Amino acid sequence: MTLAALSVLVYGAVLADAVARDPGIAGATVVVGAFGLLFLALVLWRGAQEYLPAAAACLGGVYAVAVVVHGASVDERAPLVAAGLLLCCELAAWSVDERTRIAAERPVVRARAGALAALVGGALAAAAVVVALAAAPAGRGLPWTIAGAAAAVLVVALAVRSTQR
Amino acid sequence: MTRLASPRLTGYAALAALALVAGLAAGRVELVALATPFALAAVLGAAAGRRPELAATLAVDRERALEGEDVGLTLELSSPTGASRVDVLALLPDELAPARPNPRALWLPPGETRTIELPLRCDRWGAFSLGPVLVRARDALGFHAWETSLAGSVPLRVYPSVETLHALLPPFETQVYVGNQVSRTRGEGIEFADVRPWTHGDRMRRINWRATARRGELWVNDQHPERNTDVVLFLDTFAEVQRDGRSTLDMAVRAATSLAHRYLSRKDRVGVVSFGGFLSWLLPASGTRQLYKIVDSLIQMDVVLSFAAKGVDFLPPRSLPPKALVIALTPLLDARSASAILDLRARGFDLVVVEVSPVPFVDPGKGTLADLSYRLWRLSRESLRARYERAGVPVVEWVDGVPLNVPLEEVAAFRRYAGPVRA
Repeated sequence: MTLAALSVLVYGAVLADAVARDPGIAGATVVVGAFGLLFLALVLWRGAQEYLPAAAACLGGVYAVAVVVHGASVDERAPLVAAGLLLCCELAAWSVDERTRIAAERPVVRARAGALAALVGGALAAAAVVVALAAAPAGRGLPWTIAGAAAAVLVVALAVRSTQR
Repeated sequence: MTRLASPRLTGYAALAALALVAGLAAGRVELVALATPFALAAVLGAAAGRRPELAATLAVDRERALEGEDVGLTLELSSPTGASRVDVLALLPDELAPARPNPRALWLPPGETRTIELPLRCDRWGAFSLGPVLVRARDALGFHAWETSLAGSVPLRVYPSVETLHALLPPFETQVYVGNQVSRTRGEGIEFADVRPWTHGDRMRRINWRATARRGELWVNDQHPERNTDVVLFLDTFAEVQRDGRSTLDMAVRAATSLAHRYLSRKDRVGVVSFGGFLSWLLPASGTRQLYKIVDSLIQMDVVLSFAAKGVDFLPPRSLPPKALVIALTPLLDARSASAILDLRARGFDLVVVEVSPVPFVDPGKGTLADLSYRLWRLSRESLRARYERAGVPVVEWVDGVPLNVPLEEVAAFRRYAGPVRA
């Protein structure tokens, strides 16, 4: 229950950040965010983890629209939002895993909490590196766009392949 | 070992792809930053999905226990690779209640052996198989799980508790072997029976000198010899009625165990016949070994649904020896066992019917029709009981919660005043 509440709390924080970013589209943001919350509730209530990416996609979409509408400047809080999204998903997944009411030893809980902290910390650092690299004057133009697209395809292919292994 | 992957792993990969494509299309680094944690989680989650090596052994501190006692189940779990979380569930029958949580989740360091002590309280008798152990190992973030069953199973026999019986039913006829039952016949023994005139072959020490002096000729004492008896416990396993974990078969097995224990301690020979969908028997014998054989066969008894017509003819003749006292423990629910009991009586067996009453296990139901059928059922049972009594078979009703001594004493009183009827 605590994990579920924390997950909803993190979701609410990210949604509030997106809503506050551009009050002009607050209505649409809240509606899409509420859909995401509905998916999250479905995950937490029914234990259906397959709806977790849908909840994250709704929230991520809300944030993306808010960022695009807001302006051309790079949002420095993007790594925090990204890490918050992952934390929300992982807390919800942990909550679902604990629904089985299996008495867990303290080291088991510590191991998962440690792994989660490491993952979210690592994700925050990686996202921060991405944002920092974007600010660096490395270059621009078609070759860079092609290189970026190839890197994106490579990362996605790697992720998909590793999940199917 | 079955491998299960969390659906969120694929979801994270899809999210990362979506965010990256959107980032490229919109030319926004924030969306790429948004994709980074999910891509990282998908890659790390997939990399962490290495199959763990698990080994387990299951042991029980003894193979036999009495109902109500505690036994210790020990599970040793080891893994050379280790596992962040191992969910362990020892598959146990409902009759054994674990005193500690089962299942439980453990942390298993690499190369270490974890020992789990699981005390079990034996709530009910039976022949059980403990195990196997279902194990589910997960990686640190729960992206992958591996499920398997380990350790096989270990046997445990829980014997029913024995009720203290003050008196037993004496049979009308004894056997030829020496025992503790005073025979009705006369011969060599301890119990004085009568005096009679001396005949050739009588021993000098049997002369009753006082009677001889009074009557002026030799008179000798007669004794009742001590003989053993053959007792056959006839269990009706065609049908049973259950309620709140208690059943008529449960009562019958407890009664049979108590009777077997008591008769065998008196040096009598005891046999068992399970008359039901699954027919089984144990030839009469005496001794502690026979007691164990009887109890082992009793705890494996179960009601097996069968529509096959069965009679006493199906039993081997040696399972029902002549002059044996047959104690039938039956709920009188199946017509086949009811007619088999009458058949036994017709064959001249010394028969006693202990009716393990199913009435307390049955709700009368609500409504006129239910009430009428309940009353008709009760009447049909009374009619069957009357049929037995007309055939000279003592029938006594034994209700759950009443000590077995009560119906036994009732039958003993009946037999004290009623002689055997020859069919």
